[in-house]
Amino acid sequence: MIAEIAGRSIADGPRGVRRAPDLADNAVLVARELLSPTVARLVVRPDAGVGSFVAGQYLALGVRVDDRVVQRPYSTASDPAAADAHEFLVRRVPDGALTPRLWALPVGSRVRLGPPKGAFILVAGDQRPHLFVATGTGLAPFLAMLRTLARRPNPPRTVLLHGAARTEDLVCGDEIAALAAGGLPMTYVPTISRPDDPANRGWRGLTGRAEMVLPSVLRSADLPPGGLAAYLCGNPGMVAAAEIALLAGGVAPGDIHAERYWTAPGDMSAPSRTLDSDRA
Amino acid sequence: MAFVIAAPCIDHLDQACVAVCPVDCISHDPAADRKAYIDPEGCIECGACESACPQGAIMLDRRLPPAWAAFAEIDRGWWIDPEWARDAVDAQAA
Repeated sequence: MIAEIAGRSIADGPRGVRRAPDLADNAVLVARELLSPTVARLVVRPDAGVGSFVAGQYLALGVRVDDRVVQRPYSTASDPAAADAHEFLVRRVPDGALTPRLWALPVGSRVRLGPPKGAFILVAGDQRPHLFVATGTGLAPFLAMLRTLARRPNPPRTVLLHGAARTEDLVCGDEIAALAAGGLPMTYVPTISRPDDPANRGWRGLTGRAEMVLPSVLRSADLPPGGLAAYLCGNPGMVAAAEIALLAGGVAPGDIHAERYWTAPGDMSAPSRTLDSDRA
Repeated sequence: MAFVIAAPCIDHLDQACVAVCPVDCISHDPAADRKAYIDPEGCIECGACESACPQGAIMLDRRLPPAWAAFAEIDRGWWIDPEWARDAVDAQAA
């Protein structure tokens, strides 16, 4: 496999103890609120302050396990202009490497928070109608975007289509309602993909997967395909199908911004982040 | 499993991968290294680095062609013994 060089045998392999990357704890878990049986809002305050970031970006959140830091990237839901901490929506994955630990971590514990990253960002100055499509905790970056839009003197009309399997996962309804009540010209359209699930008994709203109801939402909201900015975040299946639907409906490719929360099996295309797929 | 930085990175070190890695598991010593290295214990296999690399140097370890198979061990080894890894990179580049 590896050649031998005179004076030293590379074949003997490396010698020594693994040097972990310099990922020191640099933040504090200041709050954890259960929003549903499987989704929590985690609030993390960096030691050095929040710093500059753009709505839509993500940060790596990690906890120390033995001699290494287990990290996963999560979109921040915080308002870039007003945040003193980062707010994340995190789904607990029962056999995951990180989320069970985040659930068990005492509030006040030290954690690792990476710098803001990502190109899935709210484009500044775009006054065209905005379409946000989220599944599950993919709502998080749109909370940041909505909070940013709410600060504009003349915010664009926005439709937020939020899909979930169960009504309990349509989290943050109060925050969304407050943004609309505060004057943001937005329409919130929740949809449930498993209307026959007993957990959804009593649901009288829209049913169907987000990408399936998207065309009807575009029509009923009177969103002009040729003049809107579309943002998609969450399940890669939804993102792929929604992209196709939007392109077929006349939305320009450059007007579609996408963030896949995990890599679909066999997907060799554009990069994605591993978020909800918290593997052990 | 993890992504690995293979031969095309040698003496290029574009570092586009470093900027896009969501968990900062890519590193190198600018004064001593000819390529960058991915920490297999930190890699979450998101693939952002693979898409960002202009040299096509990055791929999943299980997809490395035979000629580059050694780079999986080299990336892992850099985090233990950088000098060993540098010697191994030199041997690959020879």
